[in-house]
Amino acid sequence: MTDRGGAGELGLMIRLLPNQVVVEVIGEVDMVTAPDLGCLLGALVDRGHTDVVLDLANLDFLDSSGLQMIDDTSARLRPSGGVLQIRSPSARTRRLLDVSEVSGLVEFEPSEPDLVPLGSEQQADDGSTIVSATTTGPPVGVGRVAAMAAGHDVVDAALELVTALAQATVGGADGSSVSLARHGRIGTVGATDDTVAQMDRDQYATGQGPCLAAAGEGHWFHIESVAEEARWPDFVPRARTGGIGSILSTPLMAAGRSVGALNIYSRTERAFGPPEQELAALFATQASRILASAEVAAEQATRLQAALRVRELIAQAQGVVMARQGVSAEVASATLLRSSRQAHIPLRRQATEITASTQRQVPLTGSEP
Amino acid sequence: MNRTVEMLERGRRDVGLSQGELWFRYFELGGMSTALEVEAYLYGALIPTPHDGDLIAAALNERFAELGGDHPIPYSDDE
Repeated sequence: MTDRGGAGELGLMIRLLPNQVVVEVIGEVDMVTAPDLGCLLGALVDRGHTDVVLDLANLDFLDSSGLQMIDDTSARLRPSGGVLQIRSPSARTRRLLDVSEVSGLVEFEPSEPDLVPLGSEQQADDGSTIVSATTTGPPVGVGRVAAMAAGHDVVDAALELVTALAQATVGGADGSSVSLARHGRIGTVGATDDTVAQMDRDQYATGQGPCLAAAGEGHWFHIESVAEEARWPDFVPRARTGGIGSILSTPLMAAGRSVGALNIYSRTERAFGPPEQELAALFATQASRILASAEVAAEQATRLQAALRVRELIAQAQGVVMARQGVSAEVASATLLRSSRQAHIPLRRQATEITASTQRQVPLTGSEP
Repeated sequence: MNRTVEMLERGRRDVGLSQGELWFRYFELGGMSTALEVEAYLYGALIPTPHDGDLIAAALNERFAELGGDHPIPYSDDE
C-alpha cells in the first residue's frame, strides 16, 4: 500500500568550504537519481572545485548507474589534478566500490575534518573569485526534496533552499528566485535578495519578461545581454537600471504543465553558457518535484476532508436512529445499512435524508415565518 | 450469517478496488479499523467484528451498485 512508484528518493546537502566542497548524499542513487547527482557534481568540477568530497553516511542504496556516475565524476576531476573523495561509506557500499573496482579511482577519507565557513575573499586557484564565496554561514542544503510534502510553508521553505543552492552553484549567478502561479496569480517565492525580488515584480507589473514567458510557454528563456535585448521593451530597461546583465528563466513543470519558473540573474552579460543552463534545468527539476509532491499531498487532503464529511453525515444519521429507536450505535448502524440496501440508495444519501427528516418532524420554535 | 472471508476478498477483486481504496470507502462509511487491519480481515489473518464486516460488505456492495449491479455480499443479520 506504500507504493513508491519505483523512483528512488535523493536528497543533497552541499557544504562549500574554502578549499573543498562536501556533497552529502541522502537516500537512493539509482537510474532515476544518478543523472541529477552527476550533473551537480559535474557542474561543481566545471566551476573549478578540485577537492570534492562525497559523503555517503546517509546513502541507502547505490546501483550500477550510481557507480558509473562516481566513475564519470572522478574522470572529470583528473585533468585538474583532483581526486574524488568518499566519506563514511557503509561496509556494503565499500564492498560494492571494491568489487566494481571503482575504489581504485577514488580516495577514502578517514573522518570529517573541521569545517570552516567560506570567506568572501576566497580566491580560486586561477585567481578568479569564486561566486559561491558569497554564501557564508550555514550550509546550503536541499533535504529529501522528493519526499517532501504538505502545505505552502514547507513548500516555500524547500523552494528557498533550491534558489539558494542555485545561486551558490550556478556559475555567474548573483541571485535567483522562483516565480509560481498560485490561485491564478503569479508571485515570487524564495528570492535570494531584494534586487531579484524587484526584478520579478517588474516583470509582473509590466506583464512581460523571460520569467513570465518561461512560466507561460513551458520552455526556457534567456536574456544573454540585457543591453542588447530587443524583446520585452517595457521590462528590459528596468533590468538595465537594476544593474542586471543577463537572465536565465527555466520553467517549472507539475503534472505536465508549466506552473512557474526558476529565474537566475547575473550582473554580468553572457554569464550563462550551456553548463549553467544544464545546472539551472537540474534545479528547476528539483523545484518541480517539490511542487508535484505538494500537489499530491493537497489532493489527498481534499479526499480525506470529503471522506470525513461523509463519515460525519452517517454518524449524525446514526445518532438520529439511536434517539428515535432507543438502540445502540451498532444496531443503529446496522439499521441504516439495511434500510439503505432495501431502498437501493447509497448509505450517504440515506443518511442525508434521515438527518434532514429531523427538521421536518421537529421544527424549532419560532423558525417558521 | 453465512458470509465468509473469501466473499469479501472475492468481492473486492470483482469490483476492482485496491485494498487501500476499499479501506478508504469503509472509513468513509464510519469504519474504525486501520488499513492494515482491513487487509488482515481480507486475508483471514484477523476476524472482523460483525459490524466491521458489515461496513466492509456495505463498501463493496455500494461499489457493486455503482457498477450497475446488485448487493451480492450478505450482511451479518441476513437470514
